[in-house]
Amino acid sequence: MNTLSNRKFINFLAMAISVLCASVGLILLVIILYDVLSQGIDSINFRLFTQDPAPPHLNDSGGLKGAFLGQGLLTLVAAVIGVPIGVLGGTYLAEYGRNAKFSKIISNISDLTASIPSIVIGTFVYAIMVKPMGGFNGWAGATALAIIILPVTLRTTQDMMSMVPWSLREAAFALGAPYYKVIVSIVWRASMSGIFTGVLLAIARVAGETAPLLFTSFNHGFFTLNMQGAVPSLTVSIYQYAASPYANWVKLAWAAAFVVTVMVLILNIIGRLFIRFKVKKG
Amino acid sequence: MENLLMVQNLFFYYGDNEALRDVTLPIRKNKITALIGPSGCGKTTLLRCFNRMHDLYPNNRYSGEILMDGQNILDKKVDLIRLRSSMGMVFQKPTPFPMSVFDNIAYGLKLKGVRNMNVLKERVEKALRDSALWDEVKDRLNHNAGGLSGGQQQRLVIARTLAVEPQVILFDESTSALDPLSTQKIEDLMVELKKEVTIVAVTHNMQQAARISDFTALMYIGGLVEYDETEAIFTRPKHAMTEQYVSGRFG
Ligand SMILES: Nc1ncnc2c1ncn2[C@@H]1O[C@H](COP(=O)(O)OP(=O)(O)OP(=O)(O)O)[C@@H](O)[C@H]1O
Ligand SMILES: [Mg+2]
Repeated sequence: MNTLSNRKFINFLAMAISVLCASVGLILLVIILYDVLSQGIDSINFRLFTQDPAPPHLNDSGGLKGAFLGQGLLTLVAAVIGVPIGVLGGTYLAEYGRNAKFSKIISNISDLTASIPSIVIGTFVYAIMVKPMGGFNGWAGATALAIIILPVTLRTTQDMMSMVPWSLREAAFALGAPYYKVIVSIVWRASMSGIFTGVLLAIARVAGETAPLLFTSFNHGFFTLNMQGAVPSLTVSIYQYAASPYANWVKLAWAAAFVVTVMVLILNIIGRLFIRFKVKKG
Repeated sequence: MENLLMVQNLFFYYGDNEALRDVTLPIRKNKITALIGPSGCGKTTLLRCFNRMHDLYPNNRYSGEILMDGQNILDKKVDLIRLRSSMGMVFQKPTPFPMSVFDNIAYGLKLKGVRNMNVLKERVEKALRDSALWDEVKDRLNHNAGGLSGGQQQRLVIARTLAVEPQVILFDESTSALDPLSTQKIEDLMVELKKEVTIVAVTHNMQQAARISDFTALMYIGGLVEYDETEAIFTRPKHAMTEQYVSGRFG
């Protein structure tokens, strides 16, 4: 009897501690969201998405139309570059190259790349693209983000595909399927939701990055689709406007911070929901 | 009696590890041949030689021959895709693909280039009927195959194999994870299928071997101990080891 009540107590304790920890995380999130929202509330309106920033010293702060579009553009191009290379590279590591020494090396280098501080990637791309091309430009920004997306996607893809049991591949081979069809129609299919989640989380991560863009695509207050020149982004706008001495720009930075936070949060929630969905389906 | 396959002086090595030693036996056409023997004796290894599954992994090596229509299927030049589509395989655990029941059955047909939807429908239905699964799944052809019971999944795998009309079906302890009723259904099915295909079945279940097989091969540490008609193996074995093994006093 004694040991049973003991176990019940320990069980209760473990639950209490984990609830407490979860609450701390949740409370911090609410405080951040509340803080960001209350500071930026004046500027969060429809004009935020339709106007360019107002000049300093005005009461009105204008909007960040160009930065929204720029952020989207940079992230999209980064995903278009980084995701296919990551998925195909991960596929190679999990399938064709699973026994090769070469794969181990690639895999390790990739993991190493994933842990490089993003500002180092920013300066690296500055050296190999911005300088040679003669100035800040969108391609450099997208490349820097792609370098962050790549190793994360590669690792997730390799892990998810390695989790698919070999018996499933063998069953397809036994029907006379060639290897590429086994990969595409069986292994990818079985690991699709996991890979998709990983890609989404990787994109969510770069959507909030400032440092790699600061040295590459830089920033300005205009609306542009020209990737050859500097491309504005929300994150760099926040960085620059928040540090400015003008009250209306600081407000704009808060508004942008709120929008970025919510967007990243939504991407993450979608990613998590996908994992949950997958676990439920078994 | 016609031999569909002739295994001749077959040796097999996992790297340096010899797993089959000088195995010679015929596989009779439209009959069920049971492979029995204690765990680790090489039954799975022999079965996977027939569809060259071993080729998927590095350092595996064959020597000797398996003749089919006068050709050695262990030859390097053999087209493995062609060979495998004529040698169906059903594993111990069910292996439904992560797709609908219909797409599972149609998978092998699509590999063979069948695109016409009407033909696909017809062949899928026939395969499901032949594997005694049609009545149970005809209303959920579009549901994910993972939702079927273990026994149904195993019959789905048989249907998927049947759909491509193989000459041989290899069963590796395919009923060992199933309940008695599902086992019964699959045994009945195997006997029924003899009309159209040749069957090689690995089993640890002596009663099962006795019930369904026409010929039985007993293996021991990579070698063949005795091969004969099943009735002879169970009632008048030539080797003492066979007598001990089938009566359950060994292994
Ligand atoms: N991939 C492998 N690499 C090295 N050795 C292996 C491999 N697979 C099997 N073996 C060895 O080959 C021998 C035969 O194994 P096999 O799986 O064919 O036995 P089995 O008769 O099917 O046994 P069971 O009844 O337990 O399934 C065993 O000694 C086993 O350890
Ligand atoms: Mg086995």
